[in-house]
Amino acid sequence: MKKSKLRIFFVCLIALLLVTSGGLVFGAWYLRQLEETVTAKFAGPKWRFPSKIYSDSYLLYVGFNLRLDELWDKLRRLGYYPTRAAPKSKGEYRYQPSPGILEIYLRDFAYPTEPFKGMQVRITLQGSVITKIENSNGGEELFSLEIEPELVTGLYDHTWQERKVVKLSEVPSLVVKAILAIEDERFYHHHGIDPMSILRAMWINLRSGAVVQGGSTLTQQLMKNFFLGDERTVKRKAKEALMALIAERKYSKDEILENYLNEIYLGQKGSQGIFGVWEASQFYFSKSLPELSVGEVALLAGLIRAPNRLSPYRSLDAATKRRNVVLTKLSDDRIINSKQYEMAVREPLPHRELVKITNDAPFYVDFLRRELAENYPNDVLTADGLGIFTSLDLQMQRIAERSLSEGLKQLEETYAHLRRKGEDDNLEGAIVVLRPQTGEIKAMVGGRNYQKSQFNRVFQAKRQPGSVFKPFVYLAALMSGAEGNKKFTPATMVEDSAFTWSYEGQEWQPGNYNDEYFGMVTLRRALEKSLNAATARVARDVGIRRVRDVAHRLGIQSSLPVVPALALGAAEVTPLEVAVAFATLANNGVRTQSLAVKQVMDVKGKMLEKRDVRVEKIIAPPLAFMMNHLLKGVLDRGTGELARRWGFTRPAAGKTGTTNDFKDAWFVGYTPDLLAVVWVGFDNQSKLGLSGAQAALPIWTEFMKRATAGTPITDFVPPPGIRVVEIDPLSGQPATSSCPYTLREVFMEGDEPTGTCPLHPGPALQASRQQ
Amino acid sequence: MKLLKLIPARFVIGVVSAVSVVIGAESCAPRPPFRTPIPTPTSGPVTTKPTHPPLAEQTVRSPLPHEYAIKEQDLKTKGSVSSVSPTLGAKEPVRGESRSAAPFSAAPLPDDSSLLAKITPGMAPQRVMSLRLTEEGRKLLDGGDITKALSRFERTIVVDSTNAYGYFYLAKAQYRLGRYKESLNFLDVAESRLSSEPFWLAEVHALRGENFRALGMTQKAEASYNQALLLNSGNRTAKEAMSEVQGEK
Repeated sequence: MKKSKLRIFFVCLIALLLVTSGGLVFGAWYLRQLEETVTAKFAGPKWRFPSKIYSDSYLLYVGFNLRLDELWDKLRRLGYYPTRAAPKSKGEYRYQPSPGILEIYLRDFAYPTEPFKGMQVRITLQGSVITKIENSNGGEELFSLEIEPELVTGLYDHTWQERKVVKLSEVPSLVVKAILAIEDERFYHHHGIDPMSILRAMWINLRSGAVVQGGSTLTQQLMKNFFLGDERTVKRKAKEALMALIAERKYSKDEILENYLNEIYLGQKGSQGIFGVWEASQFYFSKSLPELSVGEVALLAGLIRAPNRLSPYRSLDAATKRRNVVLTKLSDDRIINSKQYEMAVREPLPHRELVKITNDAPFYVDFLRRELAENYPNDVLTADGLGIFTSLDLQMQRIAERSLSEGLKQLEETYAHLRRKGEDDNLEGAIVVLRPQTGEIKAMVGGRNYQKSQFNRVFQAKRQPGSVFKPFVYLAALMSGAEGNKKFTPATMVEDSAFTWSYEGQEWQPGNYNDEYFGMVTLRRALEKSLNAATARVARDVGIRRVRDVAHRLGIQSSLPVVPALALGAAEVTPLEVAVAFATLANNGVRTQSLAVKQVMDVKGKMLEKRDVRVEKIIAPPLAFMMNHLLKGVLDRGTGELARRWGFTRPAAGKTGTTNDFKDAWFVGYTPDLLAVVWVGFDNQSKLGLSGAQAALPIWTEFMKRATAGTPITDFVPPPGIRVVEIDPLSGQPATSSCPYTLREVFMEGDEPTGTCPLHPGPALQASRQQ
Repeated sequence: MKLLKLIPARFVIGVVSAVSVVIGAESCAPRPPFRTPIPTPTSGPVTTKPTHPPLAEQTVRSPLPHEYAIKEQDLKTKGSVSSVSPTLGAKEPVRGESRSAAPFSAAPLPDDSSLLAKITPGMAPQRVMSLRLTEEGRKLLDGGDITKALSRFERTIVVDSTNAYGYFYLAKAQYRLGRYKESLNFLDVAESRLSSEPFWLAEVHALRGENFRALGMTQKAEASYNQALLLNSGNRTAKEAMSEVQGEK
């Protein structure tokens, strides 16, 4: 009996020893795992930094016609705040309309080529025109001023964590003391967990019957944020405590504190999470940490408990109460004196509007991603915190978005057949806007609704350009004389009648719209009225191969078939290609490379890449000028003249485009400084049934009216070698005093007609003159 | 091609120079200065009038060989003479490429390099701003800060696309960066817009010469320097480069 009891005892003892040693081994292994996890986090990269995409900066200068509404909007989006008194802090501005004075306290901004230095500026306005810019401190007169670029969006994986990492030494001691006082006052006295604090929290929670206070130390909070979720379970708390103990054993208090100050979540700005004290200081107060007042420091520390509920953007009352709690604590702990307390507690919290980053240019951003993909893989873009500076003009982008969406809606209201219900059968459109002299893409709307379809029609949709292609035929014609072929001028008469073009064993019969033919017409009239038969004749005389070559030289990259129908746009191109090609004309024959990304900067502010403006002279300036002059006629008298009736009166050139089967409607138009291409159609290639003038021109006109409002009016400058002759538009010959209508036509020097109008005999109206 | 290579470079340059002198002699009429009164800024939109002076006295001439559009293959063929002589298979000028005749200048032209001096009362604000930015960029370029200078120059053409000096300095910045093809491209643009300003046109030719020289195209470089000196015998870049090039021979 004794023996058996003894055996049982030994078995139990061995089992206990086994279990205990097993437990110890497991515990040691588990602790080792936790330690490895903690070490890996501390030693490796702790955070992912989303790359940020910025718009172009905004240049103001003396004589600049300031669109005030646009400026207010821009300042608001940049997080500037209007004040009644003269601006005292960065990010404030004041406008006094009666003397016309605008004062702005500009912020610092890390721009790749040179940093913007924040300063107080005073802008004097006469009406809306800037007459003087001066630095308020010292009165130094400036001739220009650059407002920093706007943040368009961030490129991130799952969540957008906005954070700037700072060293502990860069954080003012008051900020540190306030956070420690309110979050973990015994931080420098515990080893990761604080039993006193836990007991106090338990007591309070027991009394209130709910979990109202946590006993977590700052180290535990850091471990929770680094590795664990928000669930309130014993397992999680135990793991958190173990990790806190490990961290405290391995790392110094200052290292833990520094990580905490950078890691802590402090608010939400739309899709952007605000993390770390530096970012929070910018978000709530538009100040850097050393600039914070005592009250602001207290609020910042107080926000840690519940950043969204206590946010001053959400409730000034709640934020003020919380701030005052922290101030009392700071005063009680003698971190601040009574005077500081009194001042801070009376400081009112200003009401500020929360301006969320909404990514108003999603199609543009997608385009950028593609442009960047070659040099920067997605993992780099979403983690390395690059600054990507672009050509995007957000104001223009919004105008483009609005013009397109309103225009398409208007079309659907006007034409019942466009209202369709199928998922893939919605009326679609696209706009791309370029600055011809630099190739900068200023705006891009690749479709009607990005949420529904991310297909970017600006550069992904290959569609028939229709008559938009015709200017390439006419340019080839103007160029052909120099190559020993038939010479064409804008006044050359061409026949507009039905004919058959035999080409490499095939026959093609180009027909006019409604089978209406006009007989002998000038080259100008053929282009202005977009006459198919006349254009095809010109293309036949010039040679379709040459037409194709001209289109390629101007910037069309898609392959173009060498067939007669190419003259009328029987090929497939993207709106972006059309924009680049016409920008070459707008830029006096100089082709530019389209430019969306301008600079890329790394997280430390070092410039990684700068993409320069690239130019190449493709056609002689007089030829480009003649084409622009011809295409101005399209807007003044031709198929685009409705734009004039709708109120767009600036000097501009353009061309409508309608495909044979009415599937695509286009308009490309430009001033010397701005070019926009509009395409309208259906993705599934179903019939639109409208011309370019009906569907695309209204959208273009609306965009251009808004985008150019208040900007200087510029015209195409005739280069040397251009002659202007007053001609009769019907005969194409120099006008006589009997001609009922005359037209000032441009010719290459030496090509101008010398006779007089045979249709209206009489004395010559005037001698030709050089431009 | 072999035959072309046998033609001595000095002979080619001599022919080019002789042609240039003849052309210069034909058009020695003084040119109007590049000053055009522009409306005073108002609260409404401002109109920029064309800034080109009347060119009634201009004589159309065939462009000199080195003025032809520079093609990529040209740049790759060091010392090629195939496009130097117009009579030896060079391409005809592009239609419409009627270059203004350059006046022959026996004496050095007065220094016209100050862009701030070109700012006149009533000039369009965007023009003024563009000239100021160009001047600012020039200082940065002289100070060796090419990247910042380049950004300024790019701004100049955004603010005022007719600012030919902006294109010239873009070319200069690209040259400093060793991007000779880009530089030559900008010079093409600058040249077509500076045809009425011999001082600046000489600068364009001189810089073009520098680019050709850097590319190893000595003959083209010499032809460009010659052209610069024909326009302005005081052009320092061309003078110094010519003596260096001849010293190298």
